[in-house]
This record gives sequence, C-alpha cells and structure tokens, in this order.
Amino acid sequence: MLRWSGWFVGGVALAVMPWLVGAAFPAQQRYILHILVFTGLFAALALSYDLVVGHVGSLSLAHPAFFGIGAYAAALLATRAGWPFLAGLTAALVCAGLAALLIGVPAFRLAEHSFAIGTLGFALVTHVVVTNWVEFTRGPLCVTGIPRPVIGVGALSLRITTVPHYYWLALTALALVALLYRGLTTFRLGRAFNAVRDDEALAATAGINPLKYRMLSFVIGAALAGGIGALYAHYITVLCPEELTIALTVNLLVILFLGGVGSLRGVVLGAVLFTALPEILRVAPTWRLVIYGLLLLLMVIKWPEGLDAALRRAGRRPRA
Amino acid sequence: MEDLLEQTIHGLTLGSMYAMVATGLALMFGVVRLVNFAHGEFFMLGAYTFWFAFQELGLPYPVAGLVAAAAMAAFGGVYQRTIIRAILERSWHVQLIATLATSIVLTNLAVIVFGTQAKEVPTRLSATVFQAGGLRIAWQRLLVLGASVVIFAALHWFVKRTKIGKAMRAMSQNREACAVVGVDVQRVALVTFALGGLLAGGAAALVTPLFNIFPDMGALLTLKAFAAVIVGGFGYVHGAIAASFIIGVSESLAAGYISYAYKDAIAFVIMIAVLLWRPQGLFGRRIGI
Repeated sequence: MLRWSGWFVGGVALAVMPWLVGAAFPAQQRYILHILVFTGLFAALALSYDLVVGHVGSLSLAHPAFFGIGAYAAALLATRAGWPFLAGLTAALVCAGLAALLIGVPAFRLAEHSFAIGTLGFALVTHVVVTNWVEFTRGPLCVTGIPRPVIGVGALSLRITTVPHYYWLALTALALVALLYRGLTTFRLGRAFNAVRDDEALAATAGINPLKYRMLSFVIGAALAGGIGALYAHYITVLCPEELTIALTVNLLVILFLGGVGSLRGVVLGAVLFTALPEILRVAPTWRLVIYGLLLLLMVIKWPEGLDAALRRAGRRPRA
Repeated sequence: MEDLLEQTIHGLTLGSMYAMVATGLALMFGVVRLVNFAHGEFFMLGAYTFWFAFQELGLPYPVAGLVAAAAMAAFGGVYQRTIIRAILERSWHVQLIATLATSIVLTNLAVIVFGTQAKEVPTRLSATVFQAGGLRIAWQRLLVLGASVVIFAALHWFVKRTKIGKAMRAMSQNREACAVVGVDVQRVALVTFALGGLLAGGAAALVTPLFNIFPDMGALLTLKAFAAVIVGGFGYVHGAIAASFIIGVSESLAAGYISYAYKDAIAFVIMIAVLLWRPQGLFGRRIGI
C-alpha cells in the first residue's frame, strides 16, 4: 500500500513539475525544464539500450545508429513529405526496427567482442552515409525546420510548442518505455532473456532459442531508440549527423554502468545523474568526455554493478 | 593500367599499416583473450610522438621513428601494468568497456593537448617520387612496404624462436596450464602489450609522413584492424595480416574507382560479407568464439 502511494506521489510530483519549477525558479523555468526534457529522453533511450545490454547480454554498439535512423526518418518525412507527427513517429519505430533486423542477421553470427565490433561498424557506416549522402540527408548542412509535433486530428489536436508541453511529452514517452521495459523483463519473456544472458548453452538445452530472444530484444530496443530519436528530432528541430557518433554510445554506457545494468531504477537514476552532472561541472565538452571516460573506467573496474546495487546494499545493512 | 598499379601499391601501403595494428590486436587477443579497444589510440599517440620528435625536436627521420616505436612500447607496458592488470581476470563486458573508456580518454586528451587541426609531417622520402614509365610512387611508400616485410619476418622469428615468444604461444593455448608450470602470466602479458605498442608506434612512424594525423584517427583504425582480425579468423595472426592487405587494397581501389567518401565503409562491407559466407573468417577453423 505504502509502495503504491509512493509511486502515486512521485508520479503526481513529476506531472506537476513545470509548475513546481516555475514557482521555485521563475527565472530559470525554461532552462531547468529543458534539462528535464533531455533527462527524460536520455532515460528512455538508456532503458531501450538496457533491454539489449542488460537483459540478453549482447553488448551492441549500434544504438546511436538506430536512434539516428529514427530521428532522420521522422525529420525527413516531416520536412519533405509533410507527414504528421504520429505517422512520422510510427515510421521511425518501423525503420529503426527493420534496420536492426537487417543488421542483426549477420551480427548475431558473432559472439561477445566480435558482436560489439560488428555493430560498431554498422554505426560507423550509418554515420558515414548520413554525412555524405548530401542529396538525401543534407549531410553536414543538417535537416532544418523540423515542425513542432501535433498530436491528434481536427478539433481534438494538441499542438506541442512550449517547453512544458515537451516536458509532458518526454515524460509520457519515458513512462511508456518504462512500462514496456517492465513488461518485457518481468514475466516469462524476461526470464527467458536473462537465461540467455546468464548461460546461453543452458538456455538452449531448456528449449529457449538464444538467437530468437536476442533478436527480439535487439529489434525492440532499436525500434524504441528510433522512436525516441523521432521525439528528439521534433524537439531540437535541427538534426545534424553529429547526433549519431560514438559519443552517444559512451554516454549510454556511462548511464548504464553508473546507475546499474539491468535495473529500471538504476538506469533512470543513472540518466538523472548523467544529465545533471554536466550542468554542475560546466566544463568544455572535450574535458567532459575525458571525465566521463575516467568515470566509466573507474565504475566498471571498481563498482561494475552500479550505484543502484550499492544503494540497495547500504539500505539493507542497518536493518539486518 | 599505371593508374591501377598505383592504386594497388597505395592499397598495399595502407594494408601494411592495418596489418601492423591488426597484428598487435590479434596478439593481445590470442595471448590474454582480451580485445584492446584502445589499440587505435596507440597508433594515434605514436603518430603524435613521431610528429613531436621529428618536427618539433628536429631529430633525423630514423631516430624519430625509433623514438616513436620505443615510446609506444613503453606506453603499452604501462597500460598493461595499470589497466589491463586490473581487468585481466574479469568478464569480457568489463574488459571491453574499460578499454573503450581508455580510448575515449586518450582521444579527448589528445584533442586538448594537440588541438583538432590535422598535422602533416612530410619527410624527404614522402616528397620525392620514384618513377618508372608512367608509374609514380612516393619513396616513402616503398619504404613502408620494405620495412613491413622486415618487421613481419622479425616478428615471426620472435614468436617462433625466442623463449618469451614460445611462452606467448603457450599462453594462447592455455593460460591456467602456463601458470601451473611456472610461466609468469603477467610478464608475458606485459611483453605482449609492449610488442603491440611497438608495432603500432612503428607503423605510425612509417605511414605518418603519408597521411595527416588528428586526434580521433584511432577509433576508425581500431575498427578496421578489428575487422581484419575477424575476416582473417579470430586469433590467427597470419590470417589477420592477409586480411589487412585485402582490406587495404580494396579500400584503395574503392576510393579510386567507386567513391572516396565511402572508402571507410569498405572494411565493414567486406567483414559483413565474409561473416555471412564464412562465420569463422577466411583462415579460421570453425570454433566457438
């Protein structure tokens, strides 16, 4: 009962956050909400990544490519073909999922490190194509003028224009992704995912086809990343090839390993810390990457299970 | 016709560079079962060391080249003592992320120290051209080809004949058994990483006069070298060398005849094609990797 009321209070607090922020920091409301939009999108993206890395144990490095494919699909369909927001979002989900299916066939012939490098190769090729196929993607000139999203039709349509609107959109996306993440990782399916991660051979002898489950989580994770890419593109309204670089993979890995791989709470915690950290650190982007790299190195060597597990242990100790 | 020959020789020089980097990667994987994602950064640091020794300190070319190779061998040793030692017995996830993190740190430190502007290090050999009929090739390229033959011969001797080379081969077969019979596992790992650094530094000193150097050159190189390792068959050093030359020549021909912008994608196209056709690599036997 207490658990549910906690969730309820937390949910209401998150939903009324724009007014809370507006009351507490009237001058900086836009800025703080902007950071929160990024936090929400990053948390959702990290959750979609964790479906693959944390739950079936395949260290894919292709996530920026799927994010970028979704973002570009939505951006190009909206600017060139005038597709409405929801149609573009659906197309982004489908395109990224299909790309994952296509690259998954050769990539899952590889195990462990080779899978990582194969997917990284795909991410790199995607970046090269997006940068150089100027006639289609406008390359380094960037896709500009991506319209503000409109949800619904006719009189019932909702136009997303202000930062608080985007905040609610990002929050809804995060909630949906989190629900899906919970659903996929809790029941029979979730146990099958974890069985494949923990012992592939044993899972296979128990009648769980490792390839099938790996592919399933890979495609779902990629489709979600594509959808978040579409939201991102409609939020920033200018989309450049730089969004697809390996820096994004590093950010996602930092989030996962900071918070805790394979745990919903850990990943969201990691995303919150990760997006808050640069605002506190306030340093040049290059130094920021040096710091992230060192942080990742330290975390993975010293506390590979992440902050979530450390907090849980700390919370348990006094009671025992 | 001359054009084709020229492109092929350019491809072979490119292949020599990939082969030297891929050999280090394959040796590290073979001996300690660890993929060094920061290996391209060894090359990048070697290139900057060479630039510093040759351009800034004004050392003669051979001396500057040796300085770069020796510095990178030392760096490989330090890297093994600090980071690799901590992750040697950990899961491959931890190893991969730790080496990837190292690569990010090194790349961005290089951006801070050297700036993003590409640096050029022309030498007398890269500026003069060997001519035969219509064929024009920079002497530096011929030096790269000659030197790589010597280097691979020396490496072959080292791994087959010396005691530490034999220990490396033994460790690639069974690390526990080596430890049981008294092989110092950490020392063999140290030598392997120093050797990997030496090869990357040497490669950097040889090819830097031909290409620009910039801080994020390492990531792409790691990937291509790794693609060569996969195409060649995991853990087969000879396979990795052969695959490096195949990739180098294909890339050069593709850049000349198909599209320069997409040349960096060639290695991965080859890798994916080979994986679909022979998942164990061109020269590998079928084993679980």
